[in-house]
Amino acid sequence: MPVRTPHFPDLLFNAAGRLRRWEDSLMGLLETHGYRELHPSLVMRDPVPAVALRFFDGDDLVALRWDFTTALAGVLARRFPTPPPRISYAGAVFRRPAQPWEAVERFEVGCERIQTEGESADEADLELAKLLMAIPGLLGLKSAILHMGNAALVRRPLEAEGIFGELADAVVAALSRRAPHRVKEALDGHPSAARLAAHAEALLSELDGPGTLGALASSPYSDLLQDERLHMEKALQALLPILPPNLELRVDLADVAGLGFYTGPTLRLWAPGAQQELASGGRYDRLFPGLGRPWQAAGFCVRLSRLLDLAATRPDLFEALQ
Amino acid sequence: MSHQTLLIAFPKGRLGDELVPKLAGTPLALDTEALKSRVLQIPTATPGVAVLLLKGADLPRYVAAGVASLGIVGSDTLDEMDMDLLELADLGFGACRLSLCAKAGVTLDALRAKPHLRLATKFPKATEAWLAKEDLTAELVPLSSSAELAPLLGLADAIVDLVQTGGTLKAHGLVETAILGRSSARLVAARGAYLSEPGRLRPLAELLIEAFRRTP
Repeated sequence: MPVRTPHFPDLLFNAAGRLRRWEDSLMGLLETHGYRELHPSLVMRDPVPAVALRFFDGDDLVALRWDFTTALAGVLARRFPTPPPRISYAGAVFRRPAQPWEAVERFEVGCERIQTEGESADEADLELAKLLMAIPGLLGLKSAILHMGNAALVRRPLEAEGIFGELADAVVAALSRRAPHRVKEALDGHPSAARLAAHAEALLSELDGPGTLGALASSPYSDLLQDERLHMEKALQALLPILPPNLELRVDLADVAGLGFYTGPTLRLWAPGAQQELASGGRYDRLFPGLGRPWQAAGFCVRLSRLLDLAATRPDLFEALQ
Repeated sequence: MSHQTLLIAFPKGRLGDELVPKLAGTPLALDTEALKSRVLQIPTATPGVAVLLLKGADLPRYVAAGVASLGIVGSDTLDEMDMDLLELADLGFGACRLSLCAKAGVTLDALRAKPHLRLATKFPKATEAWLAKEDLTAELVPLSSSAELAPLLGLADAIVDLVQTGGTLKAHGLVETAILGRSSARLVAARGAYLSEPGRLRPLAELLIEAFRRTP
């Protein structure tokens, strides 16, 4: 009997119904906040990354849509002289997973907030955080945790020390593992090793509520990161009074996932005991300039496939599931 | 098993033998009666926390999948498997070297000069990385145990294996010709469990770190 991995999941009645209902609820929420749906083609062209599901269309190497943000960025940069400010999307992406038990075909709903250069990003970041805060209740999660981070907390010190390429990757990988001893190993012999190791210790020392920001004071880069700290403090002041019941807000200073992409604040949604984050996003201001458009952007994506898995394996985390 | 039971994965074998006595008298002391039996899930002195005894090579998989929330495993195994998990601390014990070892009298230069070098190892990833750094090519002979026999019986020219005291090497007439890296026990955590429930995991992680800090 052949062993079949769940890389291309067939959704049976309950899961199919749940996916449809969740998609509709989330897209409805986004629509009421002014987000308009774009539906990029399921087939994407160059440059096709190795993680994509690739095939030949005649002589052209193409791939199934591997990422909505990349697909939408191409559409927007090609077809819009000025960006639509609010975009939503829903559908499947196909990407080879890092872990063998993850699916290749994944269902997502997400949104993007796009601005022209020079517009204040603070309001847009808050708008996205507020939207993400509404999602656990909409999906029927009994409780959830919102992690706030900022990619610049790692990116800026590395850039200030002139650390790029493989060495920067090694430091980021060590931080991603939350392993300060690996940061020291990676920087062994580098002139900034002691400073960056102390910074890593500061970033990893706390993972809690707003007080976590205080850990930045012990970093050798606390002056360099003043703006980021102020931005996070302002965001917390705005969000804490309107935090829904059963949603906890935590500050994760060492959030480095997607650091090559994110440039500023990051958001991640967890359920207690869930093995993977259920939604994630942040600010990525380098994407559109790379495509010749002077626009800045932020967004988030809700991982519906992970939520479907969670509903199947941990129904106790949800209010009565249909 | 209840979702409320928190599982910590301990390695069987060399690391496990060092580890269990260090936890005696702590809230994570293992139930001695259960340890004497053949069961692989052992209650601890803390209700709701149990220990899984696993083969080192399987342990990261249990933690990465979130079955066990915490674990202790050698950094050599972590580096070979490259699983997505958190590595909270270097616990400092179980220190050993990952070394290239050959029969006494065979030098590193002699191995370099071989037109077809064969290396037997349980650590193909670390061996490949070292070969690339040294600009060498070799045929890797994958083994899962008793690698010391390979050079003696002609299965390979040398081995890449963990060396702690060197006693096993000496007993087989082998010597270290190069050190590829160093390994020690690491405290690992499931990414999801740690990030979503730090209040539950961090006290246990700190307890484990403290237990190893206070014993030499």
